[in-house]
Amino acid sequence: MSGLELRHVRKAFGAHEVFPDLSLEVEHGEHVAIFGPSGCGKTLLLRLIAGIYDPDAGDILMDGRSILDLAPDRRGIGMAFQNFALYPHMSAFDNIASPLSAHGNSAPTEHVREIAGLLKIDHVLSHAPRALSNGQKQRTALARALVGEPKLLLLDDPLRNVDAKLRYEMRLELPKLLRGFDATVLYVTQDYKEAMALGHRIAVMSRGTIRQFGTPEEIYYQPADVEIARLFGDPTINLLQLQPEKSERGVHIRLSEVAVPLPDGDALPTGRECTVGLRPEVLAFVDADVPAAIPVTVEAETPLNEKVVSLVRTSCGHELLVSRPAGTPAPASGPAHIGVDPGRLLLFDPSSGDRIALQDAVSTRGGSTT
Amino acid sequence: MSTNALTISEVDKIYGTGSGSVHAVRDLTMEVAKGEIVALLGSSGCGKTSTLRMVAGFEDVSRGSISLAGRRIETLPPVRRNVAMAFEGYSLYPPLTVRDNIAFALKVARLSRSEVDGKVVGIARLLEIEDILDRYPGSISGGQQQRASLGRALIRQADLYLLDEPMGQLEPQLRAVLRGRIKHYIKERGLTAILVTHDQTEANALADRIAVMEGGVLQQFDTPAMLKERPVNLFTGTFVGEPPMNVFEAHVKGDDRQLSLTLADGFSLNYAADAFSHDVREELLKREKVVIGVRPYAVRRSAEGVPATVSTSQWLGDQTHIAADFGGHLLVLVEHDRTRLAAGEAINISIDPHNLHIFDLAGGTAISHGMELA
Amino acid sequence: MDHTSPLETIFRRVALGVILVFFLFPIFWIVLMSFQTNEQILRIPPRVFFSPTLSNYKALISGELITTVGSLKLTFMHNLWNSFFLSTTSVLVALVLGVPAAYAFARFKFRLGEDIAFTLLSIRFAPPLLILLPLSLLFNEIGLSDTYIGLIWVYQLICLPLIVWIVRGYFEDISPDIEHAYRIDGHSWAQTFFRIAVPLARPGIAAAGLLSFIFAWNNFVFALILGSADKQPVTVGALAFVTAAGISYGQIAAAIVLSILPTLALALYAQRYLVEGLSLGAVKG
Repeated sequence: MSGLELRHVRKAFGAHEVFPDLSLEVEHGEHVAIFGPSGCGKTLLLRLIAGIYDPDAGDILMDGRSILDLAPDRRGIGMAFQNFALYPHMSAFDNIASPLSAHGNSAPTEHVREIAGLLKIDHVLSHAPRALSNGQKQRTALARALVGEPKLLLLDDPLRNVDAKLRYEMRLELPKLLRGFDATVLYVTQDYKEAMALGHRIAVMSRGTIRQFGTPEEIYYQPADVEIARLFGDPTINLLQLQPEKSERGVHIRLSEVAVPLPDGDALPTGRECTVGLRPEVLAFVDADVPAAIPVTVEAETPLNEKVVSLVRTSCGHELLVSRPAGTPAPASGPAHIGVDPGRLLLFDPSSGDRIALQDAVSTRGGSTT
Repeated sequence: MSTNALTISEVDKIYGTGSGSVHAVRDLTMEVAKGEIVALLGSSGCGKTSTLRMVAGFEDVSRGSISLAGRRIETLPPVRRNVAMAFEGYSLYPPLTVRDNIAFALKVARLSRSEVDGKVVGIARLLEIEDILDRYPGSISGGQQQRASLGRALIRQADLYLLDEPMGQLEPQLRAVLRGRIKHYIKERGLTAILVTHDQTEANALADRIAVMEGGVLQQFDTPAMLKERPVNLFTGTFVGEPPMNVFEAHVKGDDRQLSLTLADGFSLNYAADAFSHDVREELLKREKVVIGVRPYAVRRSAEGVPATVSTSQWLGDQTHIAADFGGHLLVLVEHDRTRLAAGEAINISIDPHNLHIFDLAGGTAISHGMELA
Repeated sequence: MDHTSPLETIFRRVALGVILVFFLFPIFWIVLMSFQTNEQILRIPPRVFFSPTLSNYKALISGELITTVGSLKLTFMHNLWNSFFLSTTSVLVALVLGVPAAYAFARFKFRLGEDIAFTLLSIRFAPPLLILLPLSLLFNEIGLSDTYIGLIWVYQLICLPLIVWIVRGYFEDISPDIEHAYRIDGHSWAQTFFRIAVPLARPGIAAAGLLSFIFAWNNFVFALILGSADKQPVTVGALAFVTAAGISYGQIAAAIVLSILPTLALALYAQRYLVEGLSLGAVKG
């Protein structure tokens, strides 16, 4: 039985239709990241599930039962807000204890201390929210969402308002914390790294619809369309408008006049332009004598989080970003050669943006390109 | 001397007087070579913006001197310093189109119409704002405004280019390629640039050298690689690097055959004595406790290491970030492959001695990096 | 940047002094007058130094005014009590009605919501005399004229708009997420209102309550027309000092001092709330 199910949910504010028809099914105990740009409706989705707003049509079910006729306080949901939404006139302790006292638990002390310990805020429980640092506020908000051991946990971009270092630490810490709870989790985020790190599956939202719902592997290796391919990955995927050509050895594309074979020749559109997607880590610097080495000019080298990103230009003027682990040697400027792992090349329809399936690239394999 | 474009010497900046005064910049001395890109990096209030504003001429120096291209400039008004600046708040002229905004500085330079047009289109193409050249600042997005503002600064002929948080608002999908193009543009023309940022990703990507500031004091001024390999103190060590350096307090024990750094009972990093130079060993053995640091990418998994337990393993497409419980401490590893590790899995950790950074427990100054003294 | 020259400092202090004198001198003078006899007051030129008398206060409190023409019964203390009772009750009633209304206007979008809210405010713009005549006829008809209930009801015209409009702003300032969080924690709508919304808007409620208390206290026309001597507050009661034998300035001054004391005490007590409350954003945690 699915832990949470949305069936054909529709929601409009006046003439503005946020969700035309939204369906989503989440397994019990599954962690799903809802990823999308701001304004795509992620936050509203959580509010519909929490009962703050009611959908205009459709149904929302938890463990197979509709929850639409239940008020927010009866749904058994925990929620952490982006702006923390702590009660400013209560101590951190009372904030965390709020879900317990609501359900008549008169002696919540032990429980609160336990969860505060897990989140390392047990030393600030007597403080008012305004006396807490941003990181502590965020942890208090998480503790409050978790303390009632809800069946469904809604996390609305809870790391958004803390600095990069704390965000990183919390991103590593959260999965361990959540393992201690048997909750179905929806995690809303605008950061693709958070989505990949925290979601068993990711629902990519855009303009009120779910464009793709799959595991991080599926999203990263087989993005449904070019937009999703652009949203996942740092640096962003290289996109080139190229025309696949047919020869006796199969279909290939040309980069700097060098033919790069495509995995499967049959279903491929030849004779018209396609969008070719090459993730920066799929490209690598190679020696000139390697077969199919593509001559390029290195224009700039920009280090990025233990990687080095090089901006190179092919002889036909295409710009490409090539990334490699820091510390591996490569020319910093001037002429060089790069190689492509054809198995990880992505092809998109230039008009619809949809991905064109390539046979060999479908396998979700890991590993580096070297 | 002529290779120095900018020389800041013994500059102080003090706001206000008496007890309420703020010493924003303390005794700052730094030299920027011609054709160099330098980043001023630090968190808010570290003095980087005050420094930039003193160089630009929006702020007086309280003490010291600033020279640009051989001229003393600290008393000159901003317009006479020959400095181009891209502001954090975009500050485009609202009644002018993006095109006129970018061309504004060139009009003063009395170039022909076609020459100006060519230059504007060139820089607009580089910054991907070609299609919005005829729009007004109010009708374009924050990221586009920031790019236009960058274009307006970069198009000028100046002795120095000051870029204040130049990419904070940029669309994430454009950042990497724009960083590359802007760096190429600056380098190709041999321009000298200073960028001020709180975002080390930006500083690392663009700068030849980074000046790390904290509390108005220049902590270290070095290349990105040196900042990572030889941080002068614990502050720069942990501030620079993403994800940040792992740091632990450790007890030092050793004799002339081996040296061990103990984090907790049963969690010791043991090294043969000759893994460190004689001087390093001497310095370490003087102390009971030190702070050891190791960068996440330098932590290796190997069969014969210290045991640790995986708590989280997160794959981000191009890297795997692993958090492990290491003798009660959090240890972060970054691997460039896709590593499948389950939570709770036991791994063994080893840290190569040449990747070890050791700091003084009290003051945080670096004692050694790898085999050698700091 | 804080570059203040000594000259600027001096100028600033002088300006502050002038403003202070301008605003406080009338009050200061009235306090002096309240300790003088009518003769002392009417002396020309007036003096700052005199031998003070408590006779004015005595007359007010004992309720007997001895004039050259004879003694006159004064109901001042009763007026004072009326003022106190009418203002307090009116504010309490207005709070009970106005705070939930303000919450509704702040939180819910409903048909004609804005119009109703604006109509309420417009009552404050209209001159009271505009509604007084029909109101007094109506009150006579239904027997509400010269009753406390009638006056308290009419006082809602003063208090309600103030409370609704000030408190509404405070409710709007509270992030709805805070209330949503409390609901999701498992609390009912009413608990959320009383334990989250009301406490967080408390500075605003206090400020609005105090302000409407002062407005109610200072009201003159409604009480003059709709209440008899028995129900009249101090503002109307002070008219009694304009007697056939002349105007008793001393008693008027003493009456003023006594009648501003409660509002002054209240304002001083609530000052913390007022400052906190009138500087918006104080509720943001």
